[in-house]
Amino acid sequence: MRSRWALLPVALAVLAAAPARAEQGVTDAEVVLGCSNSFSGPLAFSGEQATKFGVDLYVRAVNDAGGVLGRKVRTVYYDDGYKPQEAVANTKKLVEQDGVFAIIAPQGTPPVLATLEYLEANKVPLLFPFQGSPITRARRYVFGGMTLYDRQSRMMIEYLVGQRKYRKLAALYQDDEYGKSFRAAFEKDLGRHGLKLVAAESVKRGVTDVSAPIAKLHAARPEVLFLVLTPGPGAQALRERQKIGWTEAVMVSSGPLTDERYLALAADAAEGVEGLSLWPDPLASDLPGVRLYRERMKRYFPGNEPNRYSLSGYFAAMLFAEGAKRAGRSLTREGLVVALEGIRDFESGILPPVTIGRDHETQKQGFWVRVEKRRFTPLTDWLKSE
Amino acid sequence: MRYPAVAIGAAGLVAWPWAAPPYFVFLASLVVVNAIVAIGLNLLSGYTNQLSFGHAGFLAVGAYTAAIVATRWPGVPVVVALLAAALGAALVGLLLGVPCLRLEGLYLAMATLAFGFVVVEAIVNLEWLTRGNDGLRVPTARLGPWALATDTARYYLAVLVGAAMVWAALNLVRTRTGRALLAIRESEIAAQASGVHLAKYKTLAFVISALYTGVAGGLFAFVVGFLSPDAFDVFLSVDFVAMIIVGGLGSVPGSVAGAAVLTVLNDSLAGFQNYRPLLFGALLIASMLFMPGGIASAVRRLKGG
Repeated sequence: MRSRWALLPVALAVLAAAPARAEQGVTDAEVVLGCSNSFSGPLAFSGEQATKFGVDLYVRAVNDAGGVLGRKVRTVYYDDGYKPQEAVANTKKLVEQDGVFAIIAPQGTPPVLATLEYLEANKVPLLFPFQGSPITRARRYVFGGMTLYDRQSRMMIEYLVGQRKYRKLAALYQDDEYGKSFRAAFEKDLGRHGLKLVAAESVKRGVTDVSAPIAKLHAARPEVLFLVLTPGPGAQALRERQKIGWTEAVMVSSGPLTDERYLALAADAAEGVEGLSLWPDPLASDLPGVRLYRERMKRYFPGNEPNRYSLSGYFAAMLFAEGAKRAGRSLTREGLVVALEGIRDFESGILPPVTIGRDHETQKQGFWVRVEKRRFTPLTDWLKSE
Repeated sequence: MRYPAVAIGAAGLVAWPWAAPPYFVFLASLVVVNAIVAIGLNLLSGYTNQLSFGHAGFLAVGAYTAAIVATRWPGVPVVVALLAAALGAALVGLLLGVPCLRLEGLYLAMATLAFGFVVVEAIVNLEWLTRGNDGLRVPTARLGPWALATDTARYYLAVLVGAAMVWAALNLVRTRTGRALLAIRESEIAAQASGVHLAKYKTLAFVISALYTGVAGGLFAFVVGFLSPDAFDVFLSVDFVAMIIVGGLGSVPGSVAGAAVLTVLNDSLAGFQNYRPLLFGALLIASMLFMPGGIASAVRRLKGG
């Protein structure tokens, strides 16, 4: 009789501890992640690559090796077609119906922005969204997934003005959050050198004819022209300046633009173009992490060509796994946030050692490339923005 | 016989947030929003036989009006924001309705289609007002001292407004105006011969339809909490047309049923939007072949035995 009563405090303690242990999306056997992304619409290619061939590539490799501390990772994705209202609905569905532990690798500023308040209010970690506008800063449950645009601008200006000594710089940018963030940052960073943009022209998203702004920018005779665009209009701008025989200015693409698609679309008009690359060459890099990524891609998705979008998703899943490992077996959302904040000099073999601090920015680097014979050739080692 | 049914329905709507999982409360709010649009569109297309493929445009006008009012005057009661949305959309409906008087059938459909594109372009370009492609965050709806900050609160708001709109529509179709609209659908010449002022009633149908859609837009803004021009594309307008065809042309309850079916179907396809047009198309064809009067007439036939 006595011994039975003695068990009561133990039973109570177990009951009291149970709610704290049962974190949504985590069981003894698995942890559930998900996101709303573009599988249709203008960013369908990058959306599908980042998730189904990026995050899932790392997840499959990790699960085959026993999972994260014994838990298999499961992913759920919904399509928002780059529409913010669909992103809101999908994200609520993920959190409230599928019960995900965290959101990983959604894409695009408007859809991510639309879900930010909701996730923060519900204390759901938003991990590594593929967008670079500084809107994600200073939020407890949000960790950035791309070198933010103001940091990219700083690196570009320091390199071009500080090292290469250019003085006359101009910009062609997309008239939205992406383009305007860059433009404001260019002005600020040039101001530090006592310079201003000699010309700046904007184009609407999805524009097909850029001849007028290119002619205007040509008339201003800049030494450098920044292209803050998406692959379609970016390639269009390069072809247009080739057509009018504008060869004396260096064309420089922003981080998000410097990708294989833009290169393929511009074909020979891209020769000699420079840019800031945020990821090592997914096809040619000899970095150990990138080689492993290519091997795994060949094993799990043999039909899919390596590219920087799947590499970014792969890296996001790798970083999550590292955080979850550090958070330990009793994985909670709070625990994950603290564990990610504590990452110091993590070797991914893809990017330089990653240190995440209180600012929650996982990436602060890029390197300079020039297009030579339709490939990005590195001109510098990693440039950093601290 | 009718009152018990209404009472049971009302009790169900009130109890929903306590019975359903949280996500379905949000989804139910979207159903209400779409139901109001479908009723508005049905008054124009189902009752008056004026096709519109531009109702996403009216929804956008209502949504942005409500959002801008709520942003510029913080603390404004949600009712005022919704009224502004209704009036804004109704005004645009009037401006579109007058020139469209001379258009019929396919030409009217094309004009309204173009209207939808114009609204989206206007939103993209009026950046100082709408924040263009960046999108607009909608502040929390307020009603006096209360902030409608939860999905449940916003659901009750939507249901209350939706019930009022359904009640108004059911009454409207029984008035002289409603009869006039039906007469225009059956035959414009006959209607005119019986003393129905064609221009007046067609314009009125446009205005009322836009007003309904504007109110729905205002609710949409508060329910979703974020607006961007990408939300209001032509496919949304087509979805609205699909709702009234599946639900039943010329039926208010049918509009609600069609909106519910298509909203829930759309949601269950969240993983593969690419198959959406295919499935919606098949649904449209099937409903026109086997259920030409939509859900409404199918139910009527079942009841009639």
